[in-house]
Amino acid sequence: MKLKKSFALLLFQLVIVSFLAQETNTKQTSITLLSTKTNYIVGEDIILNFKVKKDTVFQLYCSNSYGSIVLQSKVLSQKASFTVPRFLSKKRGILSWKIINTDETISGNISISSQQHPTSIETYLGPPSIDAGGLDYTMLVVIPTDSLDNPILDNSKVDVKYQFLKSENITPIYTDKLIGYKNFYAPKKSGRMIISSECHGLNSKEFDVNIMPAIATDFKIFTHRNHEYADGNQITTLYTSIIKDKNNNIISDGSYIEFYITDQKGGILKTAATTINGVAHAKIVHPDFEDTWKIKAYFIGIAESNTITIKYKKVIEDYNVAFKQHNRIITVGPLESFMGQLIPDGLSIKLSIYKNKTLIKELFKESNNGFASFYLDPNIYENNEYQVIIETAGIKKEFKSFKLW
Amino acid sequence: MKEKSNKYLITAILLALLFHGSTIFFTLETTYDALIHLFFADHYANSWFEPWNYRWYTGFTVQSYPPLVHQTMGALSLVGGLKFGLFTVAFVAIILFVTGAYRYSLLITSNRTVAGYAAILAVFSSSFVETLHIFGQLPSIVGVSILMHALPEIYLWLKTGKYKFFFTSLSLISVTVTSHHVTPIFGMLFFIFPLIGTVIMDVAREEVNSYKEVTFSLFLKTFFKQLKKNLAFGLSALFLIVFCIFPYWLNSKKNPITQVPIPHGSRDSFIDVTSSGLVFFTIPWGLLLFILPYIFYRYYSKRYLFFGLSFTMLVILGTGGTTPIPKMILGETAFNILTLDRFTLWGSIMSIPIFGEFVYRFVEGDLKELIQEKFGAVYHRLLGGLLAFFYVAMVVFTMSLGYFRPSQPQKIKMLPIVNFLSQDSHDHWRYLTLGFGDQMAWLGAQSNAMSVDGNYHSARRLPELTTRPIERLENSKFKGVAGIGSLQQFLTTPEKYNLKYIFSNDKFYDPVLFFCGWQRLSQLENGIMVWEKLNVPPVSSILPKEDVPAWVKIMWGVIPFLTVLFAFIFNVQSLIINALKTKTKPNPIYFKYKNDYSKFSKNVLKAFHIWAVLLIITISYACYMFYIKNDTQRSPENVVKAYYDAIDFKELNKSFSYIDPKDNLTRAQYLLEISVTDGLLSSYAKLDAITTEVLKKTDSLTTLKVETKWITPLEKLSKVEFRTTVKRGRKWYLKPTRKSIDLPPDQLYSKNTTGYFNQGRRRITTEQTHHEDVLKQPVLEIVSAKLIKFNKRYSIIGEVQNIDNVPSDVVLKGTLYNDDNKELATYNAKHIIKHKLMPKEISAFRINFEGIAWSKTKDSIPKTFNPDEFTPIELSEQPTKFNLQAAGNTSNSDLFKDVVLSEVNISSNTISGTLFNSGIQEITVPQLIITFYNKDKEMIWVDNLFLKEGIRQERKLRFNYSIPKDPKIKSISNDMSYCFVNGLPNKDIASKIIPNRIHNHTISKLQKVDHSLFSYIKIELNIYIGNPK
Repeated sequence: MKLKKSFALLLFQLVIVSFLAQETNTKQTSITLLSTKTNYIVGEDIILNFKVKKDTVFQLYCSNSYGSIVLQSKVLSQKASFTVPRFLSKKRGILSWKIINTDETISGNISISSQQHPTSIETYLGPPSIDAGGLDYTMLVVIPTDSLDNPILDNSKVDVKYQFLKSENITPIYTDKLIGYKNFYAPKKSGRMIISSECHGLNSKEFDVNIMPAIATDFKIFTHRNHEYADGNQITTLYTSIIKDKNNNIISDGSYIEFYITDQKGGILKTAATTINGVAHAKIVHPDFEDTWKIKAYFIGIAESNTITIKYKKVIEDYNVAFKQHNRIITVGPLESFMGQLIPDGLSIKLSIYKNKTLIKELFKESNNGFASFYLDPNIYENNEYQVIIETAGIKKEFKSFKLW
Repeated sequence: MKEKSNKYLITAILLALLFHGSTIFFTLETTYDALIHLFFADHYANSWFEPWNYRWYTGFTVQSYPPLVHQTMGALSLVGGLKFGLFTVAFVAIILFVTGAYRYSLLITSNRTVAGYAAILAVFSSSFVETLHIFGQLPSIVGVSILMHALPEIYLWLKTGKYKFFFTSLSLISVTVTSHHVTPIFGMLFFIFPLIGTVIMDVAREEVNSYKEVTFSLFLKTFFKQLKKNLAFGLSALFLIVFCIFPYWLNSKKNPITQVPIPHGSRDSFIDVTSSGLVFFTIPWGLLLFILPYIFYRYYSKRYLFFGLSFTMLVILGTGGTTPIPKMILGETAFNILTLDRFTLWGSIMSIPIFGEFVYRFVEGDLKELIQEKFGAVYHRLLGGLLAFFYVAMVVFTMSLGYFRPSQPQKIKMLPIVNFLSQDSHDHWRYLTLGFGDQMAWLGAQSNAMSVDGNYHSARRLPELTTRPIERLENSKFKGVAGIGSLQQFLTTPEKYNLKYIFSNDKFYDPVLFFCGWQRLSQLENGIMVWEKLNVPPVSSILPKEDVPAWVKIMWGVIPFLTVLFAFIFNVQSLIINALKTKTKPNPIYFKYKNDYSKFSKNVLKAFHIWAVLLIITISYACYMFYIKNDTQRSPENVVKAYYDAIDFKELNKSFSYIDPKDNLTRAQYLLEISVTDGLLSSYAKLDAITTEVLKKTDSLTTLKVETKWITPLEKLSKVEFRTTVKRGRKWYLKPTRKSIDLPPDQLYSKNTTGYFNQGRRRITTEQTHHEDVLKQPVLEIVSAKLIKFNKRYSIIGEVQNIDNVPSDVVLKGTLYNDDNKELATYNAKHIIKHKLMPKEISAFRINFEGIAWSKTKDSIPKTFNPDEFTPIELSEQPTKFNLQAAGNTSNSDLFKDVVLSEVNISSNTISGTLFNSGIQEITVPQLIITFYNKDKEMIWVDNLFLKEGIRQERKLRFNYSIPKDPKIKSISNDMSYCFVNGLPNKDIASKIIPNRIHNHTISKLQKVDHSLFSYIKIELNIYIGNPK
């Protein structure tokens, strides 16, 4: 028992001693930096030299924003040197390094700055179209870059040139945190602005921004028609004045205007058109009965027109209804228009058939050469007493106790 | 004795190669299945070991179909292209089938001449012709052919117990397994079990002197004696069935077929659906129908008793839904998954030897003698001529079926589509074809682009597809409304599937594409119209897939060819000896059981005649009924039906022939009137059902109420008309109805419009689009939006306005959330919105939250249903808020706005009025979008109405809309704080352009209506122009 204990003690001691012994051994290897330069220009060769005690191979871990790598040293007569590869040395920014797999950590930073002279200018402009009037804006971003594609030094001057209508301007801006930028607020006029930039004598390509007209202001509407009769055939054209925004720009082509028409019965009719050069032409067919229309046009939520009133005169004063073949053929006509001419084909004639005051069927016919005739099929309409209402051109004719046999 | 080459067999092979070999070039590509197999072959040619295919169904595994035939085609395609592979395999299949039929017949009949006869007959077997030239089921043919080759080997193993035969038979079984999965399983049941029975009979027979003496006890005794061999074979075969296509079973276990059954003609009642009866019963049985008594007589003789039972089963199962028996035998599930035509195919194949035997006996055997003796030589010759005539007629009829009733659309030149997909990164999106038929598989094989659709419905994975009884979206028009409904879901939310391009070969689908927000891109040089959808993101570069372990992939890639290799090694010796006759081989052991062809039973001949007479009576009666039903002018109902059918198929000259000749309507006038009518009903509708009711009938005049139901891509339409028919002579005619005679005021008129063109990439480059060529997304404003509950369904309604200066395409996506911000449902605006807005144009919208229809398989699918039928989504929780995303994209197509509301009449529950076309384009489908307001002029509902007819230039069209009766409407939320436009908050983006919006601007211009719930309405108009000029 005792022997066991003393063995364990001895073993314990041995372990401790051996640890201490190891410690003293490793302390001897050390490595010190020789290179002193910490600022480089992109593209320069970066070589880090170290003084070492042993001619063994060392490893250096390098890292910048672009990536990381572990380098092996070239050791020659107690001097280890590392060449930073080009893909790291050509990027501007901070390059951090660290000797690894040694007990001492030895590390440092190298700052690499970009070349002073740009060889290309990266430019972004957006959005490519803005609304006139000073509220909307577009932004130009300029990044002058050097031959190794690094943004050049901060606070470099970039001249922004822009042309609009008759004016041509140059404004300097200064790069900050890699980029230079400028906001262009929309002028009052619509048109196209051409923008470019220059840095150290180097010019960018041309960019353009379309300044679109702003929203419309109130406008006027007018009508045009061949005659004022409600013949259900001719077409009335509704059109607007030249619609402009508040800065007197003609609104953009293709803008959609809705014309609301209120008829005598309170029905809301509707037509629409798109503008060309600020004017919209909408068409609507004449009603086929006497009517008065109140018309107003809208850019919904934006602008509106005045209200105009137009009247459609009665085109047919009266017409005849003839019954044949046990009342089963009903002929309406002649339908004569305002000068006594036959109404153009297609006037709608409605025949409503009631039986005991309930509607059975509505029949529609179109006039043909001034007449329309209905045939009441005995297979559908049995022999009985009906009530018939004929309606065309706003004139209603009622035939009570109408007998089919 | 030196064995001679069997000249019948050689004749059969030569005939088969000549006949089938030369005709497959005209038929195979238009069959139902051949191109699907080609697509699979292309998959293997490109990635042999990788089972996952991204090109169909947003990804599926090819381990869902046995690979041998596909892999063979794929391997051959590396030599001479895909079609070379297809036709080579088809040639091999033909040879295998004929030789297989010969060997199987030899086994059954033990007579080389008879087997030779059978082989020749097999060449022209109508079921084989149909399977090859109409269905194109190559794997099935290869599978069953190899099975027939295996049968003699199985017999020999069971009978002799020689291990050589054990291996040859198993090697052939494994080839069968890898070519077709259903064949060995049912082949086991229907071919191998009866064969085992026959072997037991034969062994038992050896104990006694004749088959008559084989008693049941003896049979049982022999059965147990043979049990070891039988079991050895049965279990090994079972093992091979599982092992050889193990990945297939693994996949079936993982992705069980839980789809809604797809209707198949072979499950129809052949009496009700005569076309199915023709294709799945009459054609495959053909002449065999007449000799059925002989087949039964022979197969129910003691030796073949088990074949008789099996044959009976096959005949019964093959009758599909005609009787309830197949459903009872198979059970509901199997009945709905299996296509029952294969039973008929196997039945007809099983009868080949007996048919051969019959013909042999008829041509040169005892039957000939019997007939000549009984009825005379002339009768025999006449009968022979008749049989031969019918046999040939059946083959010619089957072959020409595809010519007279094409199952596929005209052959489409794929190259322009393939080029389009590969150009300009178009394959970064998924595509869909419409109206391509099975040719879509050929397009799939040629292009790397991916489709949401596919042509192998068992592999479908998207619930939107598996819950519908349709096989493809592509032909959804023929699948009635379930098809259109499914298609509409894909068209409404295409960004879910990255679906951007649609190739349409059928203008039927145009309106639904337009109203779902798609736009026409261009017509390709092969006449295919390309439609595109804006605002769809490209497919991500990494796509999900269901991976399988490497060993499964290796098994799948290696085993099929190994089985062929093994089969070749085991069988090559006998093959060479048989073919070249290098060595005299003893006759196989089954030759001992030769049949006696010396005395044909008189009773059988009698039965024959009785059966033939019965059959002829049945056929004549069927023909007569067919005539009565289809004699177009026999009755008023018939003439009405015939007229509408002719109109439906645009056979206008035919339809005119039903018009009363005494009417003064001329043919030219009639055709002219039809040609100028356009619109949903006349150009985009398919007649679905027609019912006629005779209102009044006299001898010469009838008035009918005709109710027609039409399926259009947008909704189901029904139309009630009153038509009068008159009798002239013995025929009934229809009185014509006349078209509108409205005269437009202007002969020639002009119109100025603003047109737009988007350059796209201004430089000709394959690079990414330069940022300066990217247009700004047009700014939209969601003017109002609210979440409402209409009866039991939730909708987001509101108004959206294009406040930019360029025309915009609008995509609206709504999402519902509950109080805990849990997402409940997402859907896009479908029909109820104007998808194309001019600058400053406004549109009301409604987003319906549709569920996947019939997602519970329990829900019975209505037999006829409405494409517009709405399946509200089932929400587990109450939605309380919503998110609305509007996306604008500059658009330059379909910007037609020239439609006028020229008259309106309001009555208590209907709104009627007139639309007027003021533009220079013919309006194909006008649409009314109607917004409803309550008495406080708050928007509470949005609805729409498609008009059935189109409007020609400067013409009017009446409309009639019924206001929904007593709906329950509850406004749930009008909090618009989660409305976004192009990803930016709605309010911010709008205030930059319209800082001082006039709210409720047109509120004074609302139409007053007289309704319990709705006090005001607003009508907006939208139009689809089918043929812009």
